[in-house]
Amino acid sequence: MSVVAPDRAVAPVAPAASQPFRPSLAGWLARGLAWAALACLVLILPLGRPGTDLRLYAIAACYAIVALSLNVLLGYVGQISLGHAAFVGIGAFTSAYLVTVQGQSFWVGVLAATAIGAGQALVLGGVSLRIRGLYFALITLSYGLVAEQNIFQIQEFTGGGAGQSAPKPAWFESEWRYYYLCLAFLALVLFVDWRMMRTKGGRALLALRENPRVASTFGINVRLATLFAFGVSGAFAGMAGALIAHGDESVSADVWNFRLSLFFVTMTVVGGLRSRVGLVIGGSFFALLPYLIEKIPGFEDLLARVPGPVDLTPEYATLIIGPLLLLINLIRFPGGIGQQTRPLQRWMTGHRFDPHDRGLKEVQITDVRA
Amino acid sequence: MSVLETRDVSIRFGGVQANRDVSIAIGQGEIVGVIGPNGAGKTTLFNMITGFYKPDTGRIIYRGRDITRLPVHARAALGLGRTFQNVGLVKGTTVRENLVTAQYLQADYRTISGMFGSRGSVASERRLRQKADALAEVLGLTELLDTQVAGLPYGTLKRVEIATVLATDPDVLLLDEPSSGMGPEEAHQLGDSLLELRNMFKLSIAMIEHHVPLVVRVCDYLYCLDFGQLLTHGRPNEVRNHPQVVAAYLGEDPDPLAVALEAQLNALVETE
Repeated sequence: MSVVAPDRAVAPVAPAASQPFRPSLAGWLARGLAWAALACLVLILPLGRPGTDLRLYAIAACYAIVALSLNVLLGYVGQISLGHAAFVGIGAFTSAYLVTVQGQSFWVGVLAATAIGAGQALVLGGVSLRIRGLYFALITLSYGLVAEQNIFQIQEFTGGGAGQSAPKPAWFESEWRYYYLCLAFLALVLFVDWRMMRTKGGRALLALRENPRVASTFGINVRLATLFAFGVSGAFAGMAGALIAHGDESVSADVWNFRLSLFFVTMTVVGGLRSRVGLVIGGSFFALLPYLIEKIPGFEDLLARVPGPVDLTPEYATLIIGPLLLLINLIRFPGGIGQQTRPLQRWMTGHRFDPHDRGLKEVQITDVRA
Repeated sequence: MSVLETRDVSIRFGGVQANRDVSIAIGQGEIVGVIGPNGAGKTTLFNMITGFYKPDTGRIIYRGRDITRLPVHARAALGLGRTFQNVGLVKGTTVRENLVTAQYLQADYRTISGMFGSRGSVASERRLRQKADALAEVLGLTELLDTQVAGLPYGTLKRVEIATVLATDPDVLLLDEPSSGMGPEEAHQLGDSLLELRNMFKLSIAMIEHHVPLVVRVCDYLYCLDFGQLLTHGRPNEVRNHPQVVAAYLGEDPDPLAVALEAQLNALVETE
């Protein structure tokens, strides 16, 4: 067959393709050390911390799950959800209600929260199948408000102003055991996400995010695939909600508001869409941000001296730092933290260290107009 | 008997009658060209055949079956493959990923069993990758398999798109301006490729095309649309010299410049 030689080809054809890169023995040792350091940081170092800190770390792992959940919608399907606080909150209350009021076990609670999270996301997804983009964002926003004003006001379900208590499961009462439990759930979610994107279902999501029309000419049922993504995202969110509730040992209605939804979107985007590593870092970093700020000496005094109508407390700092990071992210690093950590990530998995490797090009809005 | 035909399809967008009573037919193994000036409703016609628009009146028949009400993905499953005017590819990924993604319907496992790496899914995924390699070889894209789609030149993208639509295992191929963005030489080679691919994959092809030499060389039959209506149809040489077609392309009253242009066009065809 006659074929045009790709003469104007394309610089980034990797010459290494013919000769796959193998690290030397020293290289492997260095990588092993890096892995050991990472394991130490995540698994061993936290054990030396007081219980209140460990509780925060557990919540940080849950926030990482929330980031992965939001990423399924935002990163894979390209739909922004401004009602994710409701997704997570419904999971939290479901589990707390089942355990405290109905006397079920923690495991039943988490399972039910996951299922109900998926269910409510499917309903919302079904309602909004015909719209995309900004209009869809408005639907999710109003869904969040409806949940806040109605579902979370049901006394029986949420325990009213005092909140619903959510005891930790048997054997996981101590903070460090619960922390490990949350890590295990995070690992499960990471595994599911990783595997999903390596199947036809995951590829279908990426294709339909890029262009639903092109996806449908591949034979992909766009509505079904979108619903599938909603289900997965809702399941992750519900599970995270249940874990947060039991981590705090109580859950009250006033935290699941629009501000939290924005906070979730910020941490997901700053973490880096479609980068699992970035999302985990982003989620846990934002969860720990208020706490980290308190550790900076003199920061509170600095905040107090900022003139203005309100006295700034560390709580407000996240409201400033979050959007600031988001701005930097949008202007300079669209791939978020994940894009920045990618060279390290590649190196640790046995590739050559390439500081310029930023992974896939950030995708432009395509110009297909069919 | 024709593989695919439209019977008097019409569609209106607000005040614009984009297609009026358009009937075309594509026979088994034929390459059919759809020509006409900009805004004549060619892409609209394709969009109705693929299922993006539902015609107001008229029917679309595929192998004797009325598919007018079927959704796009169901038509793809029946064997309708389609390329886009502005390249329909998943841009953020590599050529290989595109070729694998497009084989969605041939991946004969459930996503859930694929997630847990069932034996069937692993075997299926391996088949998809092999087919991607084979298709890339047919279209001369082997070296580009691991290249990001976003960085490729336009002409190459068009070739990748054809490989991708072939990956969907089509029976009828609808190509929307396959030679746009290609130079004359590239377009000539595209013509060779299309003729070969038709025999290799037992395809019937309908293509919207502006490149007259290409159309005349590869098409068995031509339809010319103007203002949403079928102006004329017939063998390429008849249609090309049809006075109404010349008028539609070059204006009502051919001035000296237009005549010169047409002469040039004809000369081009002869040299092909």
